[in-house]
Amino acid sequence: MSSLSASNTSHKTGDLAVSVQDLSLTYTTAIDRRPTLKARAKSLGRGTKQTRVVQALENVNLDVAYGQVLGVIGTNGAGKSSLMRTIAGIIPPSKGRIEVFGSVSTLLALGVGFNPAMSGRANVHLGGLAAGMTRKEIEEHFDEIAEFSELGDAIDAPMRTYSSGMYARLGFSVAATVQPDILIVDEALSTGDAHFKEKSFNKIKELRSEDRALILVSHAMATLREICNDVAWLHKGKLVNRGNPNEIIDAYQEFLHLGKSSVIDEDL
Amino acid sequence: MSTPLQVYEPFRAGLPPLRKYWRSLWSRRTFISEYSRSELREQHFDSIFGQLWLILNPLMLSAVYFLLIVIIGGSGGAIRYGHLTASLFLFYLVSNSLTGGVKSVTAGQRLILNTAFPRMMLPISATVIAFFKFMPTLLVFMIMRTVLGLPFGWEMLWSIPIILIALIFSLGVAILISTINVYFRDIASFLPYLTRTFLYLSPILYEASALKPQLRTFEHFNPLFSILESWSLSIVHAETPHLSSMLTALAWALGVLLIGTYFFLSREREFAVRL
Repeated sequence: MSSLSASNTSHKTGDLAVSVQDLSLTYTTAIDRRPTLKARAKSLGRGTKQTRVVQALENVNLDVAYGQVLGVIGTNGAGKSSLMRTIAGIIPPSKGRIEVFGSVSTLLALGVGFNPAMSGRANVHLGGLAAGMTRKEIEEHFDEIAEFSELGDAIDAPMRTYSSGMYARLGFSVAATVQPDILIVDEALSTGDAHFKEKSFNKIKELRSEDRALILVSHAMATLREICNDVAWLHKGKLVNRGNPNEIIDAYQEFLHLGKSSVIDEDL
Repeated sequence: MSTPLQVYEPFRAGLPPLRKYWRSLWSRRTFISEYSRSELREQHFDSIFGQLWLILNPLMLSAVYFLLIVIIGGSGGAIRYGHLTASLFLFYLVSNSLTGGVKSVTAGQRLILNTAFPRMMLPISATVIAFFKFMPTLLVFMIMRTVLGLPFGWEMLWSIPIILIALIFSLGVAILISTINVYFRDIASFLPYLTRTFLYLSPILYEASALKPQLRTFEHFNPLFSILESWSLSIVHAETPHLSSMLTALAWALGVLLIGTYFFLSREREFAVRL
C-alpha cells in the first residue's frame, strides 16, 4: 500500500513497470448518491433496489514498460478510471493480479484537497503522508510544488476558498513534482486556464523519460497523438485494442463515427 | 526481472492481507499525529482559550447536573460532585470519539478516491483527537479533587488501565460508526439521542453502588457501565475497583474493537466506489 515510498532502484527502458493480468473488477454501488437511513426506512416494503452491481473491468491484460507513455482512451463508463484505481491500489481487484514495479503517483479525477477547512499547505502535507511519503520527503518537494502551482500566498489559505482551477493546479503540481517511477494522470490535463494547461502539458512532456512510465487517461485525442508512444482502447470493461497511437486513435474515432472532427481534437 | 514492489490481488474471505495492512498502517503513524494536530489547530484547541473551552464545557455541564441531583435527590457533597465531574470527563472521551469518528471516512472522500492507504487511519485519528481533548480535563480534575479534599491513595493508579480500556472502546465505536456512516449518511443526526441515552444509563448522575440489584444485571449490557464504575472507584474514591468489573469492561472494549475492525476491513474495499 505504500504507493509513494521511494524506491531507489533505477529502471531501464523496457523493464516492466506495471503488469495487469486477467483483471476483472465487479463492485456494488449505492443507487442513491447519499444513502440515508431515513430514505431506506421510508422505502421499506416497497422492494425498490438500493444497490447496483457494476461490472467495471473484464479480463483485462495490460503490460506497461518503463519508457512507455501509454494513453488510455474509451467512451464514458468504459472502465478507464476503474483500471487506473486498481493499478494505484485504491480498489482491490475482484479477479486477476496486478504487479507494480515502482513507486506510483496518482492524479485521479478529484486531485488533492482532503480537508477543505485546512490550508493548501496542510493538505499537501497530509496527502503526502497518506501516500506513504516521509515528512522529510514532503519538505524537500514542497517549495517546488508551491512554485509550480503558482498559488502564491493562497497556499496558506483554507482550501475552501480555492476556485476549481486552483484545486486542479495544486493537484497537478503535487502529482508531477514528487518524481514517481510511474505517474497516472486521469483526465486532469483539461483543467486550469490556458496558461496552466500549456504548462502542465509541457511538464508531462518533460516527465517522459527512459526510466519512467506514464499512463494518461484523456479524451483529448490531439494531445495523446502528440505525447504517447502507445495507446490502449477500452470499451465496456474490455481491452479492445492496443498499439500505435495514430492507428488506435483513428480506429477509435471511426468507431465513434466522428472522424477527425475538431471537437475531440481541440480539448487539451 | 526484479520482484514487484506492490502486488494487488483479490481479497481472501473479503479481508485485506492483515499483516501487510498492519505494516502500512504503522508506517503511516506520522499521518495520524499530523492530522490530529492540524485538526486541533483548525478547531483552535491549540490556543489557550480553545483549551479553556474544552475544560469549561464539561465543567459547566457537571455544575448543571449537580444542581439537578441536589434538587431531585437532595444529597450533595464533595464526593458526589467529584464523581459527577470525573465520570462526565471520561464519558466525553467516548462521546467525542464517536461524534468525531462518524464522519471521518466520508469526509476523507477526496483522499480515499485518490490515494491508496489503510483507511482505518481516519477513525483512528478521530480517537486520537478525542484523547488530546481528554487530557487537559484530567489535569483539571486532579486540581479539583485536591480542592474538594477527596482521599488520595495508590489505588488511583488503577485509573491508568481504565483509561486504556476506555480508549480501546472509543476506538472500537469510532471505527464501527464510521463504517455505518458510509451506508447511512444521516446516522450522525441520531447520535445525540444515542449519547444522551447512554449518559443516563451509565453511572454518571448516580453512583453504580446506588443501583438496585435487578437493574444491575441489566447493566451488563451497557458497555460503559463497568468502565465508569471502575473509573469512579479508583479516581474519585481512591479504592481498588472490582476485578469482575474491570474484566467485563475489558471484554466489552475488545469485543467492540474486534467487531468494528472486522466490519470496517470487510467493507473497506467498497469505500472508494460508495463515496
